[in-house]
Amino acid sequence: MSGGDRLRVVAWLVRDTFRQSLESRVFWLMLGISALAILTCLSVGVQGAASLHRPDERPDFLPRTATGTDRAKAPRDGVDIASGTLTLAFGAFQVPLHRDARDAVHFIQLVLAAGAADTAGLLLALVWTAGFLPAFLAPGAVTVLLAKPVPRGLLLLGKVLGVVLFVAFQGALFFLGTWGALGLRTGVWDPSYLWGLPLLIVQFAVFYGASALIAANRRRTVACLLGALLVWFLCWGMNYGRHAVVALPELNREVAPVSPWLRGAVELGYWVLPKPADLSLILQHAIDADRQFAAVPEFETVVRLRRFHPVLSVASSLAAACLLLLAAARRFEATDY
Amino acid sequence: MVPPTAVAEFRGAGKLYSNGRGQAGTWAVRDVDLRIEAGQVYGLLGPNRAGKTTLVKLLLSLCRPSAGAVFRFDRPAEVSRTLARVGYVHEAPTFPRDLTASGLLKYYGALSLVPGAVLRRRIPALLDRVGLVDRTREPIGGYSKGMTQRLGLAQALINEPDLLVLDEPTEGLDLAGRQLVRELVVEQRERGGTVLLISHALGEVEALCDRVAVLVEGRKVYDGPLSDLSAASGGTEPPEAPRSLEHALGDLYRSKAR
Repeated sequence: MSGGDRLRVVAWLVRDTFRQSLESRVFWLMLGISALAILTCLSVGVQGAASLHRPDERPDFLPRTATGTDRAKAPRDGVDIASGTLTLAFGAFQVPLHRDARDAVHFIQLVLAAGAADTAGLLLALVWTAGFLPAFLAPGAVTVLLAKPVPRGLLLLGKVLGVVLFVAFQGALFFLGTWGALGLRTGVWDPSYLWGLPLLIVQFAVFYGASALIAANRRRTVACLLGALLVWFLCWGMNYGRHAVVALPELNREVAPVSPWLRGAVELGYWVLPKPADLSLILQHAIDADRQFAAVPEFETVVRLRRFHPVLSVASSLAAACLLLLAAARRFEATDY
Repeated sequence: MVPPTAVAEFRGAGKLYSNGRGQAGTWAVRDVDLRIEAGQVYGLLGPNRAGKTTLVKLLLSLCRPSAGAVFRFDRPAEVSRTLARVGYVHEAPTFPRDLTASGLLKYYGALSLVPGAVLRRRIPALLDRVGLVDRTREPIGGYSKGMTQRLGLAQALINEPDLLVLDEPTEGLDLAGRQLVRELVVEQRERGGTVLLISHALGEVEALCDRVAVLVEGRKVYDGPLSDLSAASGGTEPPEAPRSLEHALGDLYRSKAR
């Protein structure tokens, strides 16, 4: 099979996944949620939105990451009292705005990226796409396809790629739509918000790998759904647990030290498994979440101790996803129909 | 003289299905030696659960043999690229309900590695041939069983296969549909192709097949021309009395069943 043939087959499998999403109405469901979020952002207004700071004035709350130069630029402390208003639902709800417009928009973006998309959106995407592979691999449906000259591994990987691209498409609509709507309404165009999109795709791809492995073994939607969520919680727990093990002696010196054996096991588990908490932490750093919320102490400590390596975290999470997909492909190749 | 090409070959092939608890279960097919040469219409006969469909699955690599070896076009069946020369009609095909017939043929044609330009030319002709040309814009979900079966035939022919595998192709088809299957088999033979036909419709088998293999309880009990089947069945009637294929087969099934 030539490279061109492979590409053509994969393109058709991707196309078939989009068809499947339309048939199952998941496409419209996800689009509806994005549309609702975009509409909400279009309904946002900021009055009295001028910056609260003069150019030579120090911001009221300097972020923890502010450099010495920034601090030196601020000749005096103190802030003006904010008197603006944030309106929602086209003015139906008014919220007193004790921050400047940029800060208010940043807060909304943070809620959308870290809360709506990166957590709820990710879990919903895993739930709604859980049935795609089992439906594709059902004996009546796939038997004729298996009699075509396409290696089974390519069939499965093409289909997984299709699901990931489908979620990427829906994620792009969500992020670009809400970013554009907020920008149009408030004049704030903060591109760091868009980091949420690649991180959402990476997280989804990693955990859809687990869903694919379960689908290749069981071909049951419920098993895929529960299995992927269980793996996500397990990985999140291992990820947080590792950071807690590293940070605890720093945070509370009275706590008895963890045994070297347990520490080694936790470290091994951390590096072997995907790291959803790290991916969230990378997102929070990318969109400067510390300006709005206090960081989780354990996470803050591992960063300070230089025990958090974003690139390695992403790379090892992707490697885990590749291993899951390879295992799924091998299982599918060995399955009798 | 060059020996004829084996389109399909089974050498001591067997398939053991586990019982679902990880223990060895029953042999669906056992010790089957069979060679199907190019240009033949080969019938695969046997009572229910004789292993006919399992044999086809082994040939198409839908399952792996537990014993022996299976070859397609003189290559091990695991080599998937030889499937580009095979067309397969499933006994009860399930297609995406929202696709149209031409949409399905484009998709399956691409997976059969047929170039796009060829597909654009071939699809309307095929839909016309199987009698679906007026229903190309309709979703498959609205098709009757017979129409789905006709579409199954079209998708099997999309790559102009050298080997056409038909598993109960007339199941659910009306008289016109059955006639269509016969015509397609004849056309396939006339252009030098090979057909492997599983059918319980003995009239069809008699009319179409050059050779048949008979399976009983997973074992091959006969392999040869239809005309010799009566003698092999060990019937009780005198040899000069002509016996129907149905009687001959019935005798064979009874005599070989354990």
